[in-house]
Amino acid sequence: MLRVTDLTKTFTTGYGEVTAVDHMSFEVADGEIVAIVGPSGSGKSTMLGLLGLLDEPTSGTIEVGDQDVSTLSATERARYRCSTVGFVFQSYQLIANLSALENVTLPMEYAGVDKVTRRERASTLLDRVGITGDMQSRRPGRLSGGEQQRVAVARALANEPSLILADEPTGNLDSKTGKRIIDLLREVAAEFHATVLVVTHDDKVATAAGRRLTLEDGKLVA
Amino acid sequence: MSIVSRGLRNAFRNVVRSVGTIAVLGLVVALAISMLLARQAVNSKIDAVKASTGTTIRVTPAGFFGGQGGGTALSSAKLEKLNGIPHVNAVSQQLEQRLSSTQTNLTNPIQAGNLGGQFGGGPGGFSGSSSSSSGSSSFVLPVTVTGATTPGTALTEGAGGSGGATEKLTAGTTFTAGSTKDVAVVGTSLASANNLKVGSTFTAWGTTITVIGVYNAGSTFANAGVLMPLTTVQNLSGNVGEATGATVTADSLDNVASVATAVKADLGSSVNVISSQQLAESELSPLSSVATITLWTLIAALVAAGLIVLATMVMIVRERRREIGVLKAIGASSSSVIRQFMVEAITLTGIAGLAGLVIGIVASNPIASSLVSSQTATSTSQGYAGGPPGSGSGGFIHPGGGSFSGGFRSSSGGPGFFHGLSSSFTSVQTSAGWSTVLVGLLAIIVLAVIASAVAAWTTSRVRPAEILRSE
Repeated sequence: MLRVTDLTKTFTTGYGEVTAVDHMSFEVADGEIVAIVGPSGSGKSTMLGLLGLLDEPTSGTIEVGDQDVSTLSATERARYRCSTVGFVFQSYQLIANLSALENVTLPMEYAGVDKVTRRERASTLLDRVGITGDMQSRRPGRLSGGEQQRVAVARALANEPSLILADEPTGNLDSKTGKRIIDLLREVAAEFHATVLVVTHDDKVATAAGRRLTLEDGKLVA
Repeated sequence: MSIVSRGLRNAFRNVVRSVGTIAVLGLVVALAISMLLARQAVNSKIDAVKASTGTTIRVTPAGFFGGQGGGTALSSAKLEKLNGIPHVNAVSQQLEQRLSSTQTNLTNPIQAGNLGGQFGGGPGGFSGSSSSSSGSSSFVLPVTVTGATTPGTALTEGAGGSGGATEKLTAGTTFTAGSTKDVAVVGTSLASANNLKVGSTFTAWGTTITVIGVYNAGSTFANAGVLMPLTTVQNLSGNVGEATGATVTADSLDNVASVATAVKADLGSSVNVISSQQLAESELSPLSSVATITLWTLIAALVAAGLIVLATMVMIVRERRREIGVLKAIGASSSSVIRQFMVEAITLTGIAGLAGLVIGIVASNPIASSLVSSQTATSTSQGYAGGPPGSGSGGFIHPGGGSFSGGFRSSSGGPGFFHGLSSSFTSVQTSAGWSTVLVGLLAIIVLAVIASAVAAWTTSRVRPAEILRSE
């Protein structure tokens, strides 16, 4: 269970104070797939950053399970990101000089998993998302966009997170490839019993999700 | 993949930049190391030269300038009291006189020559014997007599400045310190020009003097002189109780300065007191300026190295802000990101530093030599302040008129001691001992720490949320 209560994030910019997320409250059940939609600047990515503890809220609480994670220290936030959250980004964000396999082992290294286990597990995860054989030892530059995003999905799953946060995961992909990624996210969400929040502009993606949250000017409108 | 191996790999992610950074940083470190070595070499040379200058302090009447004369005579009794100053080992006195052809039957083996004639004919100059009123080159130089308490070093210290030539007895014996006998030790060229040998006699101030020895001081001018006991010269020349110079020897190098001060205080402003160290210091000033140059270059090189490291790390971190954000988003703690960039920084600075250390050690010798030779070339062209070359060949004061006469100061002192010094400058050799290697390694570690700190500070400022917002 993910419970967001009265979540607010304000930024001070050159034009004054901007409220990117404005007193937002909602709940998401375990294993649910939720699409977050809304026009540009409506606060979708900011909210995702707050849920992933990449950013600190100005006010409000985020509860995961029974724990209020909005009050964690910097070290605890890093541990939370490592063990509980898996990120998928629009432009994949793989480490360029590491192979696909090494990219997937990275979160496990931060979680303290031993070397042999993490290589085995990374290989299994890559097989699962369709990156097989010698593709696993390729660097991101030698993989297509769809393949890179598959690697990113595998990396997000590395530490078996209970929350997968995807920021426009199909934004850089053609619709066919994008659909495969969404299907993959749905499949792994079911397999790993993970809650998935997907920020998207793509109506097909939103439709594929079980539920839709619509944001406008930082407020939840539907 | 561990943090260390990732850091090592990242150090060469951009090969061109990494090699460039290592090359520039390595050269700067090399410059710093070679400056350090050059400085050490020059400083140890300065110390060595200072140590070798001896512990003597030269006392002369103020205004006295070699053959130009001047000043008031020193009191032999006062000079003798200098023995009471703490740390004084010995005081030797000299009284230099010139014998014109009317006072002695000796002839000076040195021809006045054309220049000497010009000087001799000039106003206020030579007043010896001139055989022709119109000929400027036909006058005869007087014979220099040095009365000394310590015959063994009288010429080198008295007439010769600071120890260029040492007279060696080639025949006969010498007189004792307190001798009052009418005896003399003569220079080889004077001896051969006047057919003198041990047992011969000559006349000076109307007295018959017996030759008891012949010396060779290695220079024509010094070998044209006569050494006699101080008291004898004082009595015969009518300068009882007077001296034209003294040499005070301190018991150690450390005490030379204090003894010089005490001597100066004792004798007052009417005397010049110059220690051999002071002379050496003025002569060593080009080396000192090399030491200063190397110090500033060293500082500049270290500052430059620091700035290069700083700029490189800031550039690397800025370029990879997004990656840092991603690492933090996928679970890396700040400390593990910092460690990774530290490894990267240490790898770059370590390789550059080691390369620089090797290049610096190899390059230090040529750099030191060229610095030293360019500096000393400037210096030797300025000449030595002890007196213009050739002052010994003209302008003698008549011994009968003024009590003082100089003589061979510049002609024997200049070439002997100071040319020796100048040639030793060029032999400055750097040597890299373990201490230098350690200093170099320490510098590398300091650079790496700076680099790491910069990396740590800049990476810690990267907020992971930036990767979402910038998309």
